[in-house]
This record gives sequence, C-alpha cells and structure tokens, in this order.
Amino acid sequence: MAWRLESPRVLVVELDGGKGSAVRAQTGSMVAYEGDVQFKNAGTGGGGGLRAAFKQRLSGESLSLMDITGRGSVHLAVGAGHVLVLDLAGDTLKAESEGLLCLSEGLRTDVAFTGLQGASSGQGLFTTTVSGHGRVALLSLGGPPIALRVGPQTPLVVDPDAYIGCVGELRQSFVTDVSWRNLLGEDSGEAFSLRFEGSGVVYVQPEER
Amino acid sequence: MAFTKVTSKVVLAEVRPGREVLARRGAMLASTGDVRFSPVVGGPGAGAYGGGLAASLARGMQGEAVALMVAEGSGSVHYGFRGHHVTVIDLDGSQPLSVEADRLLAHDASMSSSVVFLGQQGGLRGAVRGAVTGQGLFTTQLSGRGSVAVLSHGGTFALRVGGGRQVVVDPQAYVAHVGDLRLDVVTALSWRDAVGRGSGEGVQLKVSGEGTVHVQASEEKL
Repeated sequence: MAWRLESPRVLVVELDGGKGSAVRAQTGSMVAYEGDVQFKNAGTGGGGGLRAAFKQRLSGESLSLMDITGRGSVHLAVGAGHVLVLDLAGDTLKAESEGLLCLSEGLRTDVAFTGLQGASSGQGLFTTTVSGHGRVALLSLGGPPIALRVGPQTPLVVDPDAYIGCVGELRQSFVTDVSWRNLLGEDSGEAFSLRFEGSGVVYVQPEER
Repeated sequence: MAFTKVTSKVVLAEVRPGREVLARRGAMLASTGDVRFSPVVGGPGAGAYGGGLAASLARGMQGEAVALMVAEGSGSVHYGFRGHHVTVIDLDGSQPLSVEADRLLAHDASMSSSVVFLGQQGGLRGAVRGAVTGQGLFTTQLSGRGSVAVLSHGGTFALRVGGGRQVVVDPQAYVAHVGDLRLDVVTALSWRDAVGRGSGEGVQLKVSGEGTVHVQASEEKL
C-alpha cells in the first residue's frame, strides 16, 4: 500500500494489482493516472452495504465513493485542499463525508448519530465513521490542517464550520452562546461551537465552510 | 533567468533592455527601478510581440484573447493574479508549450506565441477535446527559449509522458503541456453514469507522445 504526497495537495496512490492495494476515493477526485486503472462507483452507501445506504438516505450524510482497482498510479486531489493522511489501527475516525478523500481497502465506513446538537450546526445530525486497520486521507481546505489534542483536563471547543474530523474516545457536545446581543446583531460570530471532552485528537482546517 | 518564485503565488521578473516581459494586464503587483508598462497595442498578438496579424485575428475571433502588457526598461517586477498559484516552466527552445490563454500570467517577450486551432491537432477529435475541456477550439502555443509563468488553482505537478508511458488526465485538471503530445478525449461512460451512479471519471484526456503534462490539484477553472 504505497501512498505518497506529490505536493501538499496531491495524493498519489500506487496500485500493484494485488489484493489489499485497491482503494476507495471520493467520486471525481482523480486528476491524473498512469497504467491500467479502473474507476467504478462503489455502489450504495459508498461501499458500506445496504444498511449504510439506508442510514445515509435517512441521515442525508451523502458519502459518494468510487472503487479504484488495477495496476498503476493515481493522482487524487479535490478543490486544492491540503491532504492529511492518517493511519488507523483499529480505532475509529469520525469525519464529515465531503472531507473524505481516500480510504484503503479493509476500512469500513458507516454513519453514526452524533446527537441532536448537529441539527443547528449545519454538520447534520450524523457523521461518517471510518473504522478498521488501514489508511485514510482527509481534505483540509484553505491550508494545512491543525491537529489539536484533547485530554481529560483540557476540553476543546472548535468552530463547527472548520471542524474536519476526530479520532479517539471523545464525547461531542454542542455549545451555544446566544445572548441578547445576537438579537441586536452585535454577536461575535461564534455563537455555535462544538465541544470535545475525553481524550483524542481533533483536526481543524483554516477555512470556514 | 527571467522568473524567480517569491512565494507560491508571486513571481519576480528581472527586466532589462532586450529582456522585456509580457504579462497579463493588471497582474503587476510591485515594481522597482525604471520600468514602464504599456499595453500591447492593437490587441494581443499584434506588432512586435506575440505572433503577428494572423494570430491577432484568430484570437479576436475566437475569444482566445487576454489583454497583455509589456514591461520595458530596467528593473524588477512582481507578478501575481487573484491569489492563484504560479508555476514557472522553463523552455529550452526545443519544444513548444501549449496553454490556455487565460492561464498565462507572464512570459519572456522574446518567445513567439501563436494561436493553434485544436482541429489541427487531430481534426474533429481535437475540436471535441476543446469543447470537453472547456478550452474552446483554440489554444495558445509559446515557442522559443525562455520561461513562462502559468496560473493554476492549487499548484501543479508535472507528469512525464513518453517511452511507452501513457498518462490519463482529468480534463478539468489539465493545465498545460510541453512537447509533441497528443491529447485524446476518451469516454469511459457506462450504464452507471446514466443512472447517476457513475464514478465521476467518465470523460478523460489520454496523453501520448513525448513531453510533459502539467496538472493542477483541483478540478476548478480559474
């Protein structure tokens, strides 16, 4: 499984044709390839099966992936976003579906309920989870991503519009800071935020969606 | 020689008598020394710079026209455009560069530019390619020795083509190419695309021949 970054914004995946080298990537993310490579829609639920597809339909968390198989090298990039490559060793990554660039074979995707707070954050009530052993590439728009560590003593608050994903044992809650000032239009522009407690890492991009 | 990268989005050009620089009009950010800027009179492609009357006519007719200005005198000029990434491509004179006119930031005025009808590069297929890539039916070709600054969304990477190596590029991510390359539109459409379940990679540009193709990290146009 050879992945490398051609530039901070371009991920190159080498496929040797063997088992385990195939990947799933966001549909339409290929910018160039060499060799004998096939692209095929991963099917319902982004390859997560019928159950995932059903949950996606209900949740509106639309994950659209394609299977990339064959022998050759594929260059992947979306919207000039910086690419963040993470290795998962049995842990679970929570991410926004549009921020997933590429997953190695063997990782499972599913949709998880994040609690009612999602409804007003614009991130939806649901999040996409990626679990298993393998590699995953996330997109960070506007510049390189920032990784912020959350510890038992140090909860973290992030802007939902800049949040990309998180790994670890984290509890997510929604914080509102709405006061009479908001009614007057004198708010700070940070009325809604996501609060993380527990221990893990939260990834944030420098651009607000 | 001509261009030095200051940041990923700004280039610096040294201008000397006999070393004039042609750039997109309005792309100058700062200049020092005794540098004069003048529009290229009679539209791009006319007069001493850029390929003569035929090229001028072709550009005027086909919209392959971006207003240019020439920097003369002696001094240095910073160029940049709308925060787009800049790639500097040096040409040794042996192979021409093909690029869409609106991706051209600046180039040495000594280079000759011409407008090429895509239909000449593979007949109807060339024309189809122009339509599919959104390039139109014409492309700009620069030849001679010098350097060229090309704009892109998210920066570019270069892929060598040749010696049996064939490269396939997303038409929306294609930026420019150097050398004698053949670009063919291939469709890999299946019944899945018809029902909205395609891979999103249904239309591709197959690049063959000898040369280098430059691809950007995005599928957005400038």
